Amino acid sequence: MRSLWLALRDLTLEFRGRAGILSVVFFLAVMLFILGLAFGPNPQDLQRAAPGVFWVALAFAGSLLASRAFGLEIEDGTLDDLLLTSGSREWIYLGKLAFQLALLLGVGVLLLLITAGLFYLPLGPWPWYLLTLVLGTLGYAAISTFYAGMLARLRGREVLLPLLLFPLVVPVVLSAVRATGDLAGGVPPGEVAGWWQLLVVFDVVYVVASGLLFPYVLEG
Amino acid sequence: MNRLIEASNLGKRYGLDWVFRGLEFRLNPGEVVALLGPNGAGKTTLLRVLAGLVRPTQGKLLRQGRVGLLANPPAFHRHFSGEENLRYALRLEGLPIRAEALKAALKAVGLSQRKPVLSYSSGMKKRLAIARIRLLKPDIWLLDEPEAALDAQGRELLEGLVQEARGRNGVVIATHDRGWLSHCDRALDLGALQKADPDRPSSADAARNIG
Amino acid sequence: MQLTRSSGKRDGLTPALLAGGLLGLLVGFYLALSAPPDVNQGWLVRIMYLHVPMAWLCYLAIFGTLGYSIAYLVRRNPRYDRMAAASAELGLLFSALTVLSGALWGRPTWGVYWTWEPRLTTFAILIAVYVGYFVVRSAIEDPELRANASAAIGILGSINVPISYMSVKWWRSLHQTQTIDLTTGKVNMEPSMLLALMVNLLAFTLLYIAFVRLRGIIAEREAEKLEAQHG
Repeated sequence: MRSLWLALRDLTLEFRGRAGILSVVFFLAVMLFILGLAFGPNPQDLQRAAPGVFWVALAFAGSLLASRAFGLEIEDGTLDDLLLTSGSREWIYLGKLAFQLALLLGVGVLLLLITAGLFYLPLGPWPWYLLTLVLGTLGYAAISTFYAGMLARLRGREVLLPLLLFPLVVPVVLSAVRATGDLAGGVPPGEVAGWWQLLVVFDVVYVVASGLLFPYVLEG
Repeated sequence: MNRLIEASNLGKRYGLDWVFRGLEFRLNPGEVVALLGPNGAGKTTLLRVLAGLVRPTQGKLLRQGRVGLLANPPAFHRHFSGEENLRYALRLEGLPIRAEALKAALKAVGLSQRKPVLSYSSGMKKRLAIARIRLLKPDIWLLDEPEAALDAQGRELLEGLVQEARGRNGVVIATHDRGWLSHCDRALDLGALQKADPDRPSSADAARNIG
Repeated sequence: MQLTRSSGKRDGLTPALLAGGLLGLLVGFYLALSAPPDVNQGWLVRIMYLHVPMAWLCYLAIFGTLGYSIAYLVRRNPRYDRMAAASAELGLLFSALTVLSGALWGRPTWGVYWTWEPRLTTFAILIAVYVGYFVVRSAIEDPELRANASAAIGILGSINVPISYMSVKWWRSLHQTQTIDLTTGKVNMEPSMLLALMVNLLAFTLLYIAFVRLRGIIAEREAEKLEAQHG
């Protein structure tokens, strides 16, 4: 319950502050535009590149958004107050994770539409895209939120975060790219299920492990 | 014995320099303890260690009950109004929210505006922090230079706060202002400890009893 | 050099392990050079006697880092943090060597230095994880927080290995069948080649343990020296 309040509070703050989210969306739009120019103009080439472009762009956006999870607290100096709340600190991780997930899903849906427009990604199997998006962003956010919290007070966190984050999310990006690509290519969802399973395993393992480790790294 | 804080041989080191070490500290319910010492004596660090925000480098620290810290300066979310800041403070602590209580708490410290904290002066932030710690009703009150940035009226509020807590909760006041001593049961002078024995573990039993 | 732990106890095991490992390495080297050439690869197969034990050492390092990291978080003994770091150091060095020897082996046998093969890719990811581990270690000054953060990276990074491996494996596969199939226990290799490989595997295992212990002792000495200067 406290976790949900925390996520809600952070979302409200994020939209009121308007600091990160708009610039991230514009950054993504520009990035997709340039990638479109690089891969195009042949529609078949663009369509083939679309899933990879989509997920790599989302991964970049995610690393920018991840710093918002604790950036909010650092800018206002309120991290101490959050840490002072009673009880074990796992709930802070879950709250921040929910916040990150909401941001990533929002940006992800927008990005999906832009990709569909610029890269001719067929939107037919959109419910399955959404499933992939949810599973993929959950795994991604599990790790990005954890490391963002760990690095929150360190100098050079902007560089350290992607360095730690990207090697770990390789399986998420790979599985999500393949699932999206297969769906776009007209493969029936039943045959894509293997990738979803891998994503589910990843999500469960990393949400649990990160949640347990989080109280240790959030200090000092 | 139902101690709020029981610390023995406590030490904190930043890099290679000890801020303090070999410190003994106890806090009983109902007690008000002053933490004295010049700038750099380690008052704020000790408060943060006692609050559980900083892990001590050495020693044992046992704590019972919820902790409230009146930081100097206090921190709030800029884009929230004073009332929203208080409401979320309660929610994240898992405490129930009553609208009248929130309003009364704000009014008691002379804040009624719905303006975002962004537009607050440092004195107003301090008042908001007083309202917050009052609403949260912690068992252990840690006040870091509470008088800073407050006007005469704010100071009165603060003394009222300490009186309110005295006798029920444990209060630790880190300050330069010896005027607080009349409100305190005991004082611990970190500066004297440091001077007496800068390099070896020192015992804080040197703490004077003044109450 | 005298090897003593802070307790003042002499550590006789570390030099013994080191000596055993080096001896094994020599024997293994001789056996590898005297082993017959492979039917398909000819003398090129000799890279295997180095490549496979190096990769094996990486697996040991992954388990070692994971184990010591968990041990640190449970027991809060700085020694485990130093051992985890020592193990990660070996992991970094040997995963780089594995990729390098793999590339040198891959060029003449597959025609390319690099392929997107699961194990190769996993090792590349592993290098990146270990680099992150050490960059963060150097970025955090508070020893407790540093130990906690590195333990977390060590644990999350180690868990990642099998998952990355599976994902890349499903994604694409091109590698010769494993020389020793761990799942079925089937060995497809000539006895003298197998002996050479086994001796090398044993030697690298001993060396891994010896190096971790040695590095742990050196790190402990450094910590003590720092302590003595500023105690």
